[in-house]
Amino acid sequence: MDLFANLAHGFVVAFSPINLLMCLIGALVGTLVGVLPGIGTIATVAMLLPITFGLPPVGALIMLAGIYYGAQYGGSTTSILVNIPGEATSVVTALDGFQMAKQGRAGPALAIAAIGSFIAGCIATVLIAILGAPLTKLALAFGPAEYFSLMVLGLIFAVVLAKGSILKAIAMIVFGLLLSMVGSDIETGASRMAFNIPELADGLGFATVAMGVFGFAEIIRNLDAGSEMDRDLVQQKITGLMPTKADLAASAPAIARGTLLGSILGILPGGGAVIASFAAYTLEKKIAKDPSRFGRGAIEGVAAPESANNAAAQTSFIPLLTLGIPPNAVMALMVGAMTIHGIVPGPQVMQKQPDLVWGMIASMWIGNLMLIIINLPLVGIWVRLLRVPYRLMFPSIVIFCAIGIYSVNNAPVDVILAGVFGLVGYWLIKHEFEPAPLLLGIVLGPLMEENLRRALLISRNDWTVFVSRPLSAVLLAIAAALLVLAVLPALRSKRDEVFTDSEN
Amino acid sequence: MAHIVDQAAASEIRNTRVALGICLLAIAPQIFEFIWSIGTLVGWGSARSPTVLVTSHAAALLVGAPAALAGAFAGGTRPTISQDTLLALIYSYPLLAVAVLTTFMTIRSAQDYIGGIVLMALALFALWASNDLQGMNGFSFGAGTAPRMFGGLLVALAAGIALSGLLHDGPALAHYSWRGPLFVMTSILIFALAIRPLGLLISGLTSFLVAALGTHETRWRETIIVGVVLTLGCALLFPYVLGLPMPIVPRWLAQ
Repeated sequence: MDLFANLAHGFVVAFSPINLLMCLIGALVGTLVGVLPGIGTIATVAMLLPITFGLPPVGALIMLAGIYYGAQYGGSTTSILVNIPGEATSVVTALDGFQMAKQGRAGPALAIAAIGSFIAGCIATVLIAILGAPLTKLALAFGPAEYFSLMVLGLIFAVVLAKGSILKAIAMIVFGLLLSMVGSDIETGASRMAFNIPELADGLGFATVAMGVFGFAEIIRNLDAGSEMDRDLVQQKITGLMPTKADLAASAPAIARGTLLGSILGILPGGGAVIASFAAYTLEKKIAKDPSRFGRGAIEGVAAPESANNAAAQTSFIPLLTLGIPPNAVMALMVGAMTIHGIVPGPQVMQKQPDLVWGMIASMWIGNLMLIIINLPLVGIWVRLLRVPYRLMFPSIVIFCAIGIYSVNNAPVDVILAGVFGLVGYWLIKHEFEPAPLLLGIVLGPLMEENLRRALLISRNDWTVFVSRPLSAVLLAIAAALLVLAVLPALRSKRDEVFTDSEN
Repeated sequence: MAHIVDQAAASEIRNTRVALGICLLAIAPQIFEFIWSIGTLVGWGSARSPTVLVTSHAAALLVGAPAALAGAFAGGTRPTISQDTLLALIYSYPLLAVAVLTTFMTIRSAQDYIGGIVLMALALFALWASNDLQGMNGFSFGAGTAPRMFGGLLVALAAGIALSGLLHDGPALAHYSWRGPLFVMTSILIFALAIRPLGLLISGLTSFLVAALGTHETRWRETIIVGVVLTLGCALLFPYVLGLPMPIVPRWLAQ
């Protein structure tokens, strides 16, 4: 069996002391940012990107991956204990988790969240290992036309899954595509929309934009929301960590459903952990015998979204490792990390860098194990961290972000650009434009343009190439069908329902 | 009755304000370039001098663009059009037209309407910025093909959003606060300008304290303590532990 040989090889790599350490650091930092509201995974990974310069590539990627799935754990802890979702992915966990904590069942809620995440993580790890090789083979059949269509599909997914108006989401994607064209043209080297500013000649750094739109904009927004966020801390001691048999019986199927849903949504481009947790919660509510229990401390309402977000966080590595297409913003930063170390993500990575791919996959399983072991005892510390008032936390985040951006290129202009994008992000929030599709547009822009140009060059400017090649036609057909479905009133109301759940 | 009239009057006043805002947006690049050019007076940069700038933009807006438009309709031979005139044609004129239209409209969702217009302005600006790039070259895309394609698409989408702000009721303009954005942005700017000449210790602490002004809740004693500790921590962490090259102390001290 190739699969087991590969996994075994991966474990050998992942168990080297340096990689174990990197995994631990990543998981801990991830939990930390997951716990702290006001600093997200995207901003953290962007901030830590320069740190990985000095590390071996495998260790660097293991650490960054750890941050991503670690944050899913950390977010749930604060959602349950203090009703403050540290991450967007655990917003729905707070609905039932905090109610359980109020009823004195914080222990079981935390345990179920951890167990669900762990199970989901294990299954997702195996899934990556199984799907990796066949998808790589499929990727070899991909020409430029197919790549382009796949990215269109991904962007359409992002639109359908984004919150709010579909028209606005599409506009955000196109805006992102436009921003991605700033800088030198790939083929002719002509300077595009750079206004003779040398720092723009290389294009807008993705990390810079991400930090502005997700880091700085979030801080400004939090400040004007009236930072007197009263934190309704659950101060009582957490007793009785272990869930009862009834709890386990109720949550087992929910964990299974959440894992399945999360894995699927994670693989799809444009999806990711946030939407997975929302979808899983809605599904549980739909199929429950007594939906009114939800919002009042139903354990399924904790188990399903927590499993789903962890599964999605991990399976989103699949398109990156096999096709070289980042399905969401965090994965796009991983591309950045890989490029720093001279690795071009895509089908050839699996063959050329088996250490990296399998080491990272194995480390995910180890990381999940570490998280479950370190997290439950550390709950007290995480909760204490939350008492750091925001008035002290936000200037610290500003400084960390500024230093982080500066050190990517040692360019002060990057810091100013990130600030400008912070204001842009603030404006976007005020006008209810979602920043996530914008970022995906920036990420996929260069890849899309390159493949579009290549496809049209090969076909001698014949646009039918996108529908005459079967694989590409299928992808585009799915994209069109999705868009039509999303605009249809029936599905629209359902889609709105998913998101309003989080707001009540 | 009087109530309704009042309401109509109120919305009219607001509409003229929105229209004026759009007019300002329509000449925003020119104003920005003017502010930028003031720097040349003290010898910074290599922009055009302010007086030249004002006359050439005014000429483009008032004479060049109408002449170019008339020329296009007359169908005569095309004279070469300057970039300033193109800016007026591609960017300013469409937005001024929108501003005029705005005064006749009832805006039902200011959030969508203004959001759409600003996005449209960005797209038009991108169209202008990429106008000098090469277009289709036989079978192959030129450097300018894709930016123009997506720029045009964005203009259409933004117009759609603005239109939906006229057709559907929706939220009004959200409230903006000035304190947070102002101080956080100033702090970022200070960091960016000071890191090279003054080093991490000074720029880090200064921008920490400036950022802390962003909320009225700040208590100075604890803020200063945290700021000093954090800056020292960063000065150890980034250059020494992580090995990132970064100036720590001011340049004149390091020499």
